[in-house]
Amino acid sequence: MRRRMAVVLTAVAVLFLALPSLAQPQGTLVRFTGQLLDVRNGYVYFSSGDAFKLSPSYTVADYDTGASTTLRPAPKVFARAVLDPATKEVVELDLTTRRLASDSAYSPDVQQAIATKPSTVTAPEIKGVAVSGREVAVEFIVTVPPSTPINAEVYISTDAGGWNPQEIKLDRVEGDRYRAVRRLASGTRFVFRVTRGSWNSVEVGQDGLEVPPHAFFVKESDAQSASATVYAWSDNRSGAPQPAQPGAVPTPFNPNPFGGSPLYPPSRATPPGGFPTPRPGQPPNRPG
Amino acid sequence: MLHMRTLGLLTLACIFFVSATARAGAVPSTSLDITANSVDFFYNRYIVTADGNVRLRLSDGTVIRGETFTMDLKLNRYLMAGDVHIDGPTIHQTGAALAGYPDLDRTYFLPAAGTPERDTYYGLNWKDPHVGREQPGDAYHFPDLTGERPYIKAVGARIVPKTNALFTRALVYTAGAYLPVPHYAIVFSANSHFFENAFPGARADVGIPFNASAHSLSALHVRNDAFNGTYLAFDQHFVWDNAYIVAAIDPLTQEQRQYNVLGYERFSPKFESRLFLQESAGGPGIIYQPINAAGYGQLQLNAGLHRSGLSYTEDNYWQYLLGIPEPQFDTIATNSYDPRWREHPMDATLSWTGYENRLFSHAPLLFRLRTIVGMAHDIYGYGGFPNELPPPPDSFYHTFGGTLYTSGLKLGPYTFTPSYDRQWTWFNVPHETDARDARLSLSRSFARQHVNALLTYEVRTTDDYWGAAQLAAYPNYGVITTPFGSYTTPDAFRGLATSRGWTGGLVYTPTQYFTVNLQLARFYDFPVPVPGYFGQPPWQFTGDIRFRISRQVQVDLTRAYYFNFANQRWSPQFGIQFSP
Repeated sequence: MRRRMAVVLTAVAVLFLALPSLAQPQGTLVRFTGQLLDVRNGYVYFSSGDAFKLSPSYTVADYDTGASTTLRPAPKVFARAVLDPATKEVVELDLTTRRLASDSAYSPDVQQAIATKPSTVTAPEIKGVAVSGREVAVEFIVTVPPSTPINAEVYISTDAGGWNPQEIKLDRVEGDRYRAVRRLASGTRFVFRVTRGSWNSVEVGQDGLEVPPHAFFVKESDAQSASATVYAWSDNRSGAPQPAQPGAVPTPFNPNPFGGSPLYPPSRATPPGGFPTPRPGQPPNRPG
Repeated sequence: MLHMRTLGLLTLACIFFVSATARAGAVPSTSLDITANSVDFFYNRYIVTADGNVRLRLSDGTVIRGETFTMDLKLNRYLMAGDVHIDGPTIHQTGAALAGYPDLDRTYFLPAAGTPERDTYYGLNWKDPHVGREQPGDAYHFPDLTGERPYIKAVGARIVPKTNALFTRALVYTAGAYLPVPHYAIVFSANSHFFENAFPGARADVGIPFNASAHSLSALHVRNDAFNGTYLAFDQHFVWDNAYIVAAIDPLTQEQRQYNVLGYERFSPKFESRLFLQESAGGPGIIYQPINAAGYGQLQLNAGLHRSGLSYTEDNYWQYLLGIPEPQFDTIATNSYDPRWREHPMDATLSWTGYENRLFSHAPLLFRLRTIVGMAHDIYGYGGFPNELPPPPDSFYHTFGGTLYTSGLKLGPYTFTPSYDRQWTWFNVPHETDARDARLSLSRSFARQHVNALLTYEVRTTDDYWGAAQLAAYPNYGVITTPFGSYTTPDAFRGLATSRGWTGGLVYTPTQYFTVNLQLARFYDFPVPVPGYFGQPPWQFTGDIRFRISRQVQVDLTRAYYFNFANQRWSPQFGIQFSP
């Protein structure tokens, strides 16, 4: 009796030990790595848009140690899916919060395991150029009108920089040209305007009307040039020399003297008795 | 007269507002309203993320729920992932992820019912899923924000694509700490009119934009200037594609205030108008009835003609919007009456400017012509300079001028850029001015040394001709006393002024992160400059150094040296500017 009991127990023990090995998949396991979107309804979804069917007994493990983990499959978590080519199911998910490079090349086994139905209709609206985001030296060259004072400061203002009118300062490198170089990521698309430091002195067209901003796209190259020609500034559309204020001696260097004239009647901006406003003796305060 | 003009300007402002609003109604508005356990904004990436119980409401009423959300504001695309539920009038779906591409007018979806598929919805039409249509390869990719710190932490946001994002119960990262504000708006529009400024200059200005919509932006500003000290100001923007209005109160918390309004509208591709209104008012206390107010208004109309442009500009100045001030403030005219109360100063110009033309078909010689007709009125005299007492109240003048120039001419390693400008102006008070400006520039680039050198010689003259009255118009001024001292002007000056100047500049750019710009100017002026009266420092030196202190911040330091002109050597302070 005892012998029979021992044999049965031994057989049960052997069976118990053997079962896990019987449950092991046949053939070589394959792996797919990426960032998770979700685990839902028996499938695991990766940010590549691919879904894989989960085995009913799939396990979750730590990516680095292979031990059990408290990390749960969730959006943004990085995972390595271990697939059984025979069943085309995921038998193990190795999780980590550490950023992993997503697989972009699919082995035939992985390809066959993708549960998402294939795309059958092309979408012509999807187009574009491949960019790596590498830094590209972009040279801004601005040609200014000849009436621009020789010591004038000229800037580039972009939508990417929040339209700061003094965003990129240029240097005068020729009689009529200003220049600056910035390193921008390839694929950057932006629009820009040329200013003299404020929105009161922004570039306008030859007819004096506001011009649309210049559009620029940083291509995948070593260096690029963004050129713009300014024909006039909004605070001097005709390009004429600034006229002298009343009471000021008309000289080339004195269009708007910074002191009041002691010889002549006060100018229009200073009424008799003083200006009744917060800023005595100053002309109207144009916004900057 | 005063009331009529005020009424006219106010009517124009109303027309601006009404017509711009009418245009705005024709544009469909779309927005994304997000609430979540946490909503973060990363400024240097223009990315919004939301995590935990994310609820996204689209402008058609469709509600999308999920575990995490991310949106690239510049690329204008968003992603919702994790237990995604779409609920709308025509859809009730669950899925793993949804990606919105408003620019493509497409929404991509991974449903989680049955066998996984790829659905594509056109616009906001949720009835037809277009199963199996090709989707962008990176539609469901999350951005890599490793090492990035959120600039704003909030619990909700309203995003108007390609325009702005308004965050609710926001913590804004400022000087190393997160400061709480009820609402905070970020504007990332490609329309620069959102950034038109109705404030005068200040030493410092920190804006707190607290409300925004597809066509508006409201902001409080903490400002500091030499006159008012530190104070609060407010501005309100209304912006459309071809029009904008900016209204500002500056300061908000001081007794003397300025109310500014800027308006712009482009009525057609060849016609635009601009309006600037300013009222300065003063009175006791913060909330008060002003006891004195002055106003200024400028109207500008610009029209494009065949290869030329026409521009009309009118300025109006009202010194006494609230009537005549107390007698003790008006002590010059009649002790109690200032004629400017009824006849306010104004001026107007109509200018025509031609396009750039070639002088010869085969030579790079270019020219532009211009002509101006103008007038000015001031009851105390206008345009009678330099020495007519009392000057006449009205001045009429007309101007003709032009510029002859070339773009840079290559002379071996050098670039030569000449230009010549001349302008005649004839006044009704019989005199005329003749202004000339000749400029020669020579530049050279030393590429290996990363240096650009520029040398400019410029001669400018302004001759004021009074005919037989020349000596009466320009007598010997004798000694002129200014705040900087007493100066004797040369006897020989009789209205013909000249400025000759050399300007040399060096730009050294060894890397794209470091620039030194040095400029030295020497002017020989006649008459010799009188500090505080006319003229410019004979010697001027300007140094400008720009360098990066971090990946995002560049510092620009400038300072000038005046070689003891008007007892001034170095400019009082460094110019310091931080930019991206």
